[in-house]
Formats: sequence, C-alpha cells, structure tokens
Amino acid sequence: MIHSDRDSLRAWFRSGELWIWANAAAVGISIIAIVGILILLAARGFSHFWPADIQLMTYRDDGDRTAVALGEIADSETLSVQQFVESVGGSGRAVPEGLDEVERLLVKTGNRRYDPPDFTWIFTHKIDAVSFPDDATVFERMEWGNAYGYLRAVGGPQETVSDPALLWDTFGNLMERAAGLRASIEDIERGVLNEINFGMEKVRLERRSIELGGLDVDQAATAMQELDERDLDLEKRYESAEQELRSLYRELQRDYVRVELATGQVIEMRLAEIVRAWRPNQMSALDKLWHYLESFSLFLSEQPREANTEGGIFPAIFGTVLMVLLMSVLVTPFGVIAAVYLREYARQGAFVRLIRIAVNNLAGVPSIVYGVFGLGFFVYFLGGNLDQLFFPEALPAPTFGTPGLMWASLTLALLTVPVVVVSTEEGLTRIPRAIREGSLALGATKAETLFKVVLPMASPSILTGVILAVARAAGEVAPLMLVGVVKLAPTLPLDGNFPYLHLERKFMHLGFHIYDVGFQSPNVEAARPLVYATALLLVLIIIILNLAAIMLRSRLEDRYRGVE
Amino acid sequence: MTDTKQNASGSNGTSLLVDRLSLFYSGQKALHEISLEIPRKQATAFIGPSGCGKSTLLRCFNRMNDLIDGVETTGRILLDGTDINSKEVDVAQLRRLVGMVFQRPNPFPKTIYENVAYGLRLQDTLPKTEMDERVEWALRSAALWDEAKDRLKESALSLSGGQQQRLVIARAIAIKPSVLLLDEPASALDPISTLKIEELIHQLKTEYTIVIVTHNMQQAARVSDYTAFLYLGELIEFGKTDTLFTNPKERQTEDYITGRYG
Repeated sequence: MIHSDRDSLRAWFRSGELWIWANAAAVGISIIAIVGILILLAARGFSHFWPADIQLMTYRDDGDRTAVALGEIADSETLSVQQFVESVGGSGRAVPEGLDEVERLLVKTGNRRYDPPDFTWIFTHKIDAVSFPDDATVFERMEWGNAYGYLRAVGGPQETVSDPALLWDTFGNLMERAAGLRASIEDIERGVLNEINFGMEKVRLERRSIELGGLDVDQAATAMQELDERDLDLEKRYESAEQELRSLYRELQRDYVRVELATGQVIEMRLAEIVRAWRPNQMSALDKLWHYLESFSLFLSEQPREANTEGGIFPAIFGTVLMVLLMSVLVTPFGVIAAVYLREYARQGAFVRLIRIAVNNLAGVPSIVYGVFGLGFFVYFLGGNLDQLFFPEALPAPTFGTPGLMWASLTLALLTVPVVVVSTEEGLTRIPRAIREGSLALGATKAETLFKVVLPMASPSILTGVILAVARAAGEVAPLMLVGVVKLAPTLPLDGNFPYLHLERKFMHLGFHIYDVGFQSPNVEAARPLVYATALLLVLIIIILNLAAIMLRSRLEDRYRGVE
Repeated sequence: MTDTKQNASGSNGTSLLVDRLSLFYSGQKALHEISLEIPRKQATAFIGPSGCGKSTLLRCFNRMNDLIDGVETTGRILLDGTDINSKEVDVAQLRRLVGMVFQRPNPFPKTIYENVAYGLRLQDTLPKTEMDERVEWALRSAALWDEAKDRLKESALSLSGGQQQRLVIARAIAIKPSVLLLDEPASALDPISTLKIEELIHQLKTEYTIVIVTHNMQQAARVSDYTAFLYLGELIEFGKTDTLFTNPKERQTEDYITGRYG
C-alpha cells in the first residue's frame, strides 16, 4: 500500500490515458483557433455596419479648454495615471484625487475637410456632459468619410425648406430624386458610354490592321470608308450620350443641404455629395437592424470609393470567384491527364519515380516564385508572342502581353497542379485490379476501361485534389500581384461586350484588397473594420467554394461506396 | 496438331486446342509444354494444388496474361482454328468471344442494368427495347432475373456476394461469347450460393464451352464432363471426368484425388 500512489500513476500512464488527453487537447486547440479567428473577424468587421448612437460630449481638452464633440465611440482604453500625466501636457494633466487609472474614449467625429481630425481621444474624467440629441444626423459622403451634424435646411435654387416638421421628409424625397439621377448616370456611363468606347477602340484597331496590309488598294479603300461611317455614327451617339450626361449632372448638382456641425459652424453640402443619411438616435432596434442589413448588402454589391476605403467590394468578390473558377477549369484536366499518364501508361521505374518526386516538390515552391515565372513566361513571352500573332494592330499597346485574368488563372493552375496530380494518382491506385480486369475481359480496350470505369471511380479523389487546389489558390495573393491583380479595376472582366469574358483584363481580388485597404490607404484607422469584414468574406468564399466541391464529392462517394 | 491426344474430342468437336504451350514469368517457366483439346459445349475442369498453373493456363485463353509485364509464351492456342496469339487477332475482339468470370465478384459500381449492358454498349448502340430484352435474357440465363427484375436501377453493389457473382456471369454471357472461363467462381461464396452457381454451370454448358478452374474436387466431379489435372506447371492427366476420378491412369493423379497431397 506504500507504493500505491506511484503505482497507480504509472498504471494511469501505461493505460494510454495521457495520450488520449493529448490528442483531445490538440484537436481542441485547433478548433478554438479556427472558431476564434472567425469570431474575431466577424465581431470586428461586421460591427462596423451597425448604426451606433451619436453622442454629444462637452469635455475639456488637453489645454483644459471646453470643447464639444459629436460622434460615435469607436474604441476605449485604460491608462495608468502615470501614463496619463506623461501623455498630456499643460494644465490639463491634473488628476482628480483617488484615481489610479483613467479611461479614454476614441470618438469618431468624422467631418474630415471641415473639422479635422477624424478621430478624437477624450478622457472620461474630463467629460462634463453627455447627451444623445434626437436630430443628430450621420451623412455618409461620397468623399471624405462620414459627417456628423444637424440638418438645418434643404433646398434647391428656388425654395428652401427649413421648417423642422417638413425638413426630414423633404430631404428624403430629394435624396430619392438624387439617387434616381445617379442611377441613370451610372447606366449611361457603364452601359452606353462603355459600349461606345469599346466600339471606337474596335474601329481604331480595324483601321490599323488595314493599314498594316493584306488587302489590295480598292478593298482597303472601301473598308476604310465603311469604318469611317461607323466611326461617325459612334461619334454621334457619343455626342448625344455626353449631352444627356451633362444635363443629368447639372440636375444632380441642383439641391443642397445646410448642416450645423457640433462647433456651431454651418456648412453647405450638395446632395450629390451624400450617399445616405440617417439619425441613429431616433431609430428603433428594428430600424437599426434594417439599416445594418442594407449597409451590409451595399458593402457586398457596390463599387469601392475613396481609394477603396469606402463603398463596397463587389469587384473584388467577383474577381476572386471568377479567377478561382477559371483556375479550377484549367487545373483539373491538366492534372488528371498528367496523373493518368504517370499511373496508367508510363512504364513504372526510376524515371517515373523521379518525375513523381519532382511534381510533389513543386507544391513546396514559394508562390512568389510562380508569380515571377508567370510574369516572365506567360505574360512577357507567351503574351508578347500572342500579341504579335493575333493583335498586331493594337501594338505597341499590349493586349495579352500584360498581366491579366488569364495569366493569373494559369499561374495559379500551375501552382496547384501538383495537388491535383497527387490526389488523382492516389485515387487511381486505389481502384481494385479486379474491376479493371472485369472491364478488359468484356472486350473493352484500355482507353474504354479508363473512361467508363476507372476515371468515374477516381472522381472523388480528383475532386479532393480540386478542393485542395481551390483552398490554396483562393488564399494566394503574392503571385497575383505580378500577373494580373490591381488595386482598382475600371471594368469587370465579364460584361455585355463581345466576347463577354475578357481574359486579358486586369481584375480585383479580395486578398490584395485586404492588403491595400489595411496598409496602403490614406486613413488606415478608419479602414480597419473594412479589413476585418473583407477578410471574413474571403474566408467565407473559400468555405463556400469548398463546401460545394465537398458536397459533390460526397454524392460521388455514395455512388462508389463498397467497392474499395 | 499432329500428335494431340484424340480422347478428348467430344461429339461437337474441339473449341480450344492447346498445342505445346509453355509460359514464362520473367524467364521462369510456369507452364510446361501443355497440349490438350477442350471440347465444344462441354464443361472442362482444371484441378490441381495451389500454384500448379491452372489459373495461369485459363488466363492464356483470353490473353489476360498480356497485362502482366514479363510474361512470354511459346506454342499455340487455337480458338475454332484461329491462333489467338497471332498479330491479326484483336485482343478486345478475342475477349468478346472468350468471356471470363473471376474468383471474387467484381461488378462495376453502376446499376445492375448498366453492368449487364456494359459489354453490349462497347460494341454498338442497340435501341432501348432491344437492349432491355438482351439484359433480361442475360439475367434470366444467369438465374438472377427473379431476384433483380424490380431493382435494375439499383447499384450492383447492393446485391449479395452470390447474386453479384451471378450478375457477373450475366454480364459475361450478355455479349454471347463462345467460351466462358470461370476462375474458381464459387471460392468466395457460401454453400447455398455455390450450389446455385453449380446449377447454373449445368444449364450454361448446353450453350457455351465452359472451362472452370477449381481446387474443390467434389465440385469438379459434380459440374464437369472433362477434367485436366495439373501439377507444377505440367499437364499430368486429361480425360473424361468419370474416368479420371474413378480410374486415374497416373499415380500423381490418384494421390491427389485421394488426398495424399495438395
């Protein structure tokens, strides 16, 4: 009985219980890490869209002068008295008796351009009064971020409404009118004007290709004449669109609002400058939820503004998904064919083993190296030669000889091809010999056996490879910066102009967007929530793409279950 | 075809004629100068201890050994007078004439219907009604129709092992071969399924030349008309099953049949 403690400890150790606990702990930590990341991203990113109440604070600043601030609280932090005294100069450093630490709030006061800075730190012990004025209004502006103030008057060239009872409704109606005008302007700019420009460019290129030769003099003359007519027609259409646009812009500039800021200063804003306006202090929880959903859907569907720090991220979502889909379409056949050759046709030996090792090791090459290769080989060499062969009329402006969607997809396909090859090969080796022999014994050739029996049975493994490839490609940023992703793409790679999918165009990508907004934007502090929101969206898109593939795979697995 | 023993020729003539066939696995001799005649529309059984070469010999008849690297053969195999190893013979065509059923059931992971139709679809596209008829006929011939007729669209893998083996037989006879090779078709099955397969062989031999490899001597005695006894790659004795089991000519055959080794 003396040794019982030690013995039981040893017995417990021997029983392997410790091992089970270690396993459970490892799994637990992984799950906590993943869920933690998602929760952090969601909390930091999505709270940005919630319409926070606006506080009016009267406080004393560092020089102990009385000041007012109107805005929403963005953050808070606690400082020790020591830190406080060191950070504050002048007469404002006096601390009330009995305080060991002080709290300070980061208040977003907006109003950039009128009343800098955007954000103000306010110490709670120096706040004299806080109120939530009912008519405090947030104006989301086209440029310069939010403005906070009180709506005092709204009007056009003839009449001005300043009666508080009518003010908000009048403002709402005029905002609706402005939104309608903006929609027509966008229709013309993105639709008609875009189409005309596309047509003019085409005429220019055709003219150039006639000049480059190939046709005899008469034919060239008639072709040129025809092009001149088309050009003239386009010119006319352009003129009328331009005129319409100009009058729309004039209309949009008609109305203005007068807004009183917290400091008492009254400013005038054109309605054209305002995206949306809301009065959070008057909104019920349901209103706020509605506003939240609206903000979020705008974030998903709008173009970015203000160096990407405002507006939406639609082009980046679109570019990411399109690029990943194109990559999958390119990598799947290529990887499968390579794997089939290595496993089914090549004579197994030292050479094939060497190739297999090389393919596996390709997966470990840093992605930026692929980017450099893509730029050198695809963009400059392949693209440059394609341009000389097929698009000589556009030279010296490159068509395919410049980074673009096609080269980005191809580079990522190259990056992920080892994954597809390896998992396809695994799938092929797992197919029982008896099944192949069964097919051959019925008079099928090797190719028939491959296409009718072997490849369908290997399809779950092929999909596993594609899933891994998608996961890797969607998260890749470094090589894309060299082969086609840009900070702001003027047009989507998919539109209504023939041939609809423009593989040569540059595109936007969520991963690069995160980098750009988070580290390259003029106002990093204001843009931080967008970084979190964009990061969460990127993760969600990867999860959705993967889930789709996983569901497809499990359907296929059901079909072939029980064979292996 | 000069000095082949004539005692094997049945009433319908010879289906497969094996003439001094030797087979080497990477230089090592696995079959040694085997000559025999397999009669048409009869069941011929190959017996012998494990590793005697009976399955290897069987797989020569539809050139399944081509799939294995380093296999070489000498001698001839004539199917209805044609040398199956000659250059003009298309292997796929040969395998349509010489069907095969393996030791373990190996249905494709497709529906029951598609399994039976597989071989037919490789040859030409039949109209749907004709295809349906062929599938039904094949399943009936393999005594599986009553069990499978209501579940033709279900996966073949949902069948039991014995049913799967009969499905595989249906799949093989759907393309109407002239010879059916059975490589220990019942060794992975329970006694009742085995019995069904044996009954099936009895029916099938009225239409097809059947060659069956088995290590179960009772089975050979029950289902076959002729029996060949192989030992260490050599054909020791070949003759009518009744004669071979009751009155073997060779000492080794007798030893094997009476269970002294193997």
